[in-house]
Amino acid sequence: MKISGFKYLANQGIENIWKNKMMAFATFCVLLISLLLVGGSALFYYNMNSMILGLGNQNEIAVYLNPSTETLRVQQIQAQLENMDNISSVEYISKEEAYNRMQNQIQQGKAIFDYIDSYEFMPDGFKVTVVSNDLIEDTTAQIGSIEEVQSASSSPQVAEFLRELRRVVSIIAIAVIIALSAVSMIMISNTTKASVFARREEIQIMKYVGATNAFIRTPFFVEGMVTGFFAGAGAFFITWAVYRAIFRILMDQGTLVRAFGVGSIIPFDKIQLWVALAYLIVGSLVGALGSVISTRRHIDV
Amino acid sequence: MVELQNVSVTYSSGVDALNNVSLKINDGDFAFVVGSSGAGKSTMIKLLLKEIDATSGVVTVNGYNLGKLKKRKIPEFRRTLGFVFQDFRLIPSMTVYENIAFVLRVIDAPLKYIRKRVPYVISLVGLHSKTNSYPDELSGGEKQRVAIARALVNDPQLIIADEPTGNIDPELSYEIVELLKGINDQGTTILMVTHEHDLVRHFGGRIINITGGEIVFDEVISGVDEVLPEEELAQAMAEASSVSNTGNIILPDQRIMTPNGEYADADRNGGAE
Ligand SMILES: Nc1ncnc2c1ncn2[C@@H]1O[C@H](COP(=O)(O)OP(=O)(O)OP(=O)(O)O)[C@@H](O)[C@H]1O
Ligand SMILES: [Mg+2]
Repeated sequence: MKISGFKYLANQGIENIWKNKMMAFATFCVLLISLLLVGGSALFYYNMNSMILGLGNQNEIAVYLNPSTETLRVQQIQAQLENMDNISSVEYISKEEAYNRMQNQIQQGKAIFDYIDSYEFMPDGFKVTVVSNDLIEDTTAQIGSIEEVQSASSSPQVAEFLRELRRVVSIIAIAVIIALSAVSMIMISNTTKASVFARREEIQIMKYVGATNAFIRTPFFVEGMVTGFFAGAGAFFITWAVYRAIFRILMDQGTLVRAFGVGSIIPFDKIQLWVALAYLIVGSLVGALGSVISTRRHIDV
Repeated sequence: MVELQNVSVTYSSGVDALNNVSLKINDGDFAFVVGSSGAGKSTMIKLLLKEIDATSGVVTVNGYNLGKLKKRKIPEFRRTLGFVFQDFRLIPSMTVYENIAFVLRVIDAPLKYIRKRVPYVISLVGLHSKTNSYPDELSGGEKQRVAIARALVNDPQLIIADEPTGNIDPELSYEIVELLKGINDQGTTILMVTHEHDLVRHFGGRIINITGGEIVFDEVISGVDEVLPEEELAQAMAEASSVSNTGNIILPDQRIMTPNGEYADADRNGGAE
């Protein structure tokens, strides 16, 4: 096919959207709703996952030293920790830092801090990250046996629970997404079929004058793709608005809600590019294929 | 060129629509196909467009053996012919110009050629003022003229018309056939199915009568409006291989003579229309 031929067919596809406004609008709506359903569930799942991850620092050991430990000894212990097996990072948390964190965490009870004017009572500590979670108990015990270490604690049960929770949430989410995708496919296929059915005579006439299948299908492809692209764009803007609104509401709730891991909700800016690309590509592709596949039944004459 | 060799068509419902039909239409011919309702005329047309396949026998159109034609060769074959149907079959969402130009776009004709050729054929059928109208805005006769323009824009070897005058006023029918005759004069083969005996009588030419799925009459007669010489009529009758399976004889003017010499009404013989 020559370039001019393709340009003609592409133009036909776009003109057809205007000529069949009602059907194009129906297809647009169905695609929009489908994309929102599937995209919304995927984003919900993505955030759940992030929240659960944020709840448990699963591979961390909190190490507290005796409050009276001298600075030199603190440095020795840090070096010792860094040399141990199964340890990927060691972060020093000074008395002062620990005090500030605590102050931040107990917002509501801020008044307490009016009575405490020194952070000297706080211990120095380390946030130790392990390489392998499976060995976390051994590593914890090993750290606990170091002199001057007041306590070393990890929470393998919590970690285990959270891992299990993530697994269950993932399975449910994937099932829901698959089910919604299937329902969407059926809706989309029925809509495009109806849209093509309304034009079956047109397709037959084209076949009678000797048009090839590719010639007849190209406008349908372009038409479906453009409709799908706009549905993707629409879905993106709706998602953008709703996501940001929810994000703002949750972030304004303060520490209480934050304790449930809401702090780990992903800001939209971080993912907007991927969300936009996914919506536009999936929308265009599903729109185009749906429309082309639906011509199949009428094209064999 | 159209050739049927011992062609039979049996629909899946069990109806034998064509029964061992053989027929040859040469390049440049103009042939009327007549016959009562349900006789198998449209079945023959569908066969020639490769809308259906013969149950047995060989169908050759413009050099293509349709029984052996591969699916992806069908478009190429169809571009060698034009069609005109009773129900016009115009694309409602396209203007007169686009409906006709579409046929040329399909064969990837240069834009320059399309811009010259389409207005030319539109003027041939006298619809210049309707170039940018949509089919819904045209009368039946105008629609049929658009269909004829579409059929000939591609300069096909053969135009197949199934009751092209079926949906338009009888007076306009003559105009449509005149138009087809004019195209035929340029060398295009034309095969036209019709119910209108007046038309056939008026124009004459090659008449093929299909009755009950068989060709019962296939002769060239002159237009009956011009007075037919006595001997010629007798000869036509004598030569006409026009003895149908009931023993009736179909006369060139479409009347039917029963074996005992009485006239029977052609339409009543073949059933209601
Ligand atoms: N698609 C089909 N399936 C089954 N039978 C069919 C089909 N099309 C036609 N027939 C039958 O085949 C026979 C011939 O039909 P056809 O349409 O060829 O008649 P025709 O000569 O064109 O009649 P008319 O003058 O009324 O148009 C009829 O008995 C008809 O009922
Ligand atoms: Mg018919």
